[in-house]
Amino acid sequence: MFLSLPTIHSTSFLHLLPTTTSFSINRRRYLTTATATGSDFDKTPPQPLLQVNDLKAKIVENGVDILHGVNLTVNHGEVHAIMGKNGSGKSTFAKVLVGHPDYEVTGGSVVFKGENLLDMEPEERSLAGLFMSFQSPVAIPGVSNDEFLVMAYNARRRKLGLPELGPLECFSYLMEKLKLVNMKPDFLNRNVNEGFSGGERKRNEILQLAVLGADLAILDEIDSGLDVDALRDVANAVNQILTPKNSLLMITHYRRLLDLLNPTHVHIMDKGRIARTGDKSLVAFIEDEGYETVSALT
Amino acid sequence: MSGIALTPAACNSCFIPSSYSYSSFQSHFHKFKTTRVSLHSPSFTTSDPYVLQLAETFEDSLPSSSSSNSTLLKLREASSQSLLSTPWPSRRDEPFRFTDVSFLRNSQIVPLSLPPNPSLLSSLSLHTDNPPYLTIVGGHLIQSMSKLSEFPKGVYVGTLSAMDPDLTARVLELISGFNGGDLFWSINGIAAPDVTVVYVPEGCRVENPIHFGYFSVEGSSKGSNETYVSNPRVVVVVEKGGELEIIEEFSGTQGSGESYWTNCALEVAIGEGAKLRHSYIQNESSAAAHIKWTSVRQESSSTYELTEVSTGGKLGRHNLHIQQLGPDTVTELSTLHLSVGDQTQDLHSQLVLDHPRGYSRQLHKCIVAHSKGQAVFDGNVKVNRYAQQTDAGQLTRSLLLEPRATVNVKPNLQIVADDVKCSHGAAISDLEETQLLYFQARGIDPKTARRVLTFAFGGEVIDKLPYSSIRERRVPLYCMILKVITFGASCITVCS
Repeated sequence: MFLSLPTIHSTSFLHLLPTTTSFSINRRRYLTTATATGSDFDKTPPQPLLQVNDLKAKIVENGVDILHGVNLTVNHGEVHAIMGKNGSGKSTFAKVLVGHPDYEVTGGSVVFKGENLLDMEPEERSLAGLFMSFQSPVAIPGVSNDEFLVMAYNARRRKLGLPELGPLECFSYLMEKLKLVNMKPDFLNRNVNEGFSGGERKRNEILQLAVLGADLAILDEIDSGLDVDALRDVANAVNQILTPKNSLLMITHYRRLLDLLNPTHVHIMDKGRIARTGDKSLVAFIEDEGYETVSALT
Repeated sequence: MSGIALTPAACNSCFIPSSYSYSSFQSHFHKFKTTRVSLHSPSFTTSDPYVLQLAETFEDSLPSSSSSNSTLLKLREASSQSLLSTPWPSRRDEPFRFTDVSFLRNSQIVPLSLPPNPSLLSSLSLHTDNPPYLTIVGGHLIQSMSKLSEFPKGVYVGTLSAMDPDLTARVLELISGFNGGDLFWSINGIAAPDVTVVYVPEGCRVENPIHFGYFSVEGSSKGSNETYVSNPRVVVVVEKGGELEIIEEFSGTQGSGESYWTNCALEVAIGEGAKLRHSYIQNESSAAAHIKWTSVRQESSSTYELTEVSTGGKLGRHNLHIQQLGPDTVTELSTLHLSVGDQTQDLHSQLVLDHPRGYSRQLHKCIVAHSKGQAVFDGNVKVNRYAQQTDAGQLTRSLLLEPRATVNVKPNLQIVADDVKCSHGAAISDLEETQLLYFQARGIDPKTARRVLTFAFGGEVIDKLPYSSIRERRVPLYCMILKVITFGASCITVCS
């Protein structure tokens, strides 16, 4: 399990500089190339982190089928993006992966780190290393942000067999993560998402990701409602959180985020299925032709 | 004995079933009329033989020495009269539609009219951390266990019977006029052994909050049919421009299974531009009955803030009546009721606005975490004809955490004025699924999540308790109660 301990990021301060984005791409590209050339380091084939096979799901309340057989494999260290028009099932897919009770899986399988993800409770999925940022995170009046983070962080430490930390011991750790998302310390004293602006809610999701760490982070429209500066902050933070080992699955409508996070794989979702998969060039194609044409090509 | 005397014959004819016809009550009425009872009240329509007997029990129990004060005598006389016109409440009476008080009627009432035996006082754990405080045991102010630091000149803290006549007259002038009380209010008026008075003169700001520690040391154990009842009565007067803060804390007997009945009354008068902050914490034993009246009268531009946290008792009933006497008043009420066992928590509040530009906010929250638990709320706000530009808001939120847990809420606004801003809302639910999922999605187990969310729900009111020392003392208890909620019924048996 990846746990973003402070030391891991001690050098990643450089990423804040404008040139660092390209640096991170190069690092990833290098890894991909290394796999292809079969050096000693990468002799083993890419390790699947998440394997989704013919996943079908419906809404519990009204029985409407949303996912009609999704297939997707995410390997360690890969950055995937899912695009698609409204209502194509992107967010449903993300929610089904984290175990949202509004949806019921009606078929297919999901294997995460070699284990059946669908058998796990939502909190077990989180502790296993799956993180999803909510598109519209719910406000929790009466629970402060630091209290919530300490609780979640200690749940993770318990899972790892590490001693739990008191609020004071956690404080410096939290402060460091707070810098990552470019927020002021009083952010911690406020109640979770209560009275937060759209941008603050998104930053808070990334702060939670930074504190908890994840093998696979699913970012559901993390860019919606963000201004240019906030988007750059969020993308910078995500880039610093990423390591060559952990993976990212983002859901987005916009090219700007893709330019900042550089996905290795781009999927187009249509009518509850992955209709097409390609690399970043697919994005330009969509922008020219629209989703209808791209989906129809399959 | 004062005010009323009954013939033995009248007393023996008690326990007429409540279904008895009106004419038979009538005949009793005449019988009493020919005896020594003098009845002036025009509202007198019927009398309940049980209530008459009860009234006599209380009057007989009072030591003759306590009747020497003419003010107390007047109070008892007036209370006797109103008591005689009031039958014991049944579920058919609207104010008691959801609240069962028959278990009190079915028990043998034993008034605690004499000061408690000093040997019983040694076990009390006083809240000595923040003086000044007043210890009231079984309705009696215990001077030896009260600590009153220096107050500004003109402040009076003590019993009514020891007060000088001029001040007594002034206090009575300010608090008289409330006649909306029920049977329990009248019982308190008859049986209160004395009245504890806090008087703050004009323009005086009292620095430290005055802490009332109410204790019950005598209770009957399980199986006994006796109910010991105490009748503490407190009057608080803050004159024009004055400022005061009071804390009322009710604690039970040491053995939590003991039953007793605290029937208390608080009368408050807040002068022009004056301010009173009032915290009320009810933590009686689990088998106790707690019935409280709070009557507040607010002059123009005055402020009254109430924060209530009620967790104890088999029955907890708070009757809150606030009357506006002038324009521009501010009234803020925050209450939290917790029902974690076979218990009922009840708030009946009425706010009467008769003058322009009143501002009021009421937040009532309750948590019911037991299948036999119940919460009742009847919140009435009256905006009368001359109360133009009133801004009145009311919100009640209830959490039902167990199947069959019950809440009966009746938020109601009566608006006659035509230029007002009023709102009310009621929400009843389990915890929010989306919030629970948010915790789980971050690796926090649902049990912990439920506990934290329940705690946060109550926190909105608890955080309004003015002093951290009180909050801190309350919070561990609250945590314990929440543990009960989280770990279910098996733990409740252990705790009780």
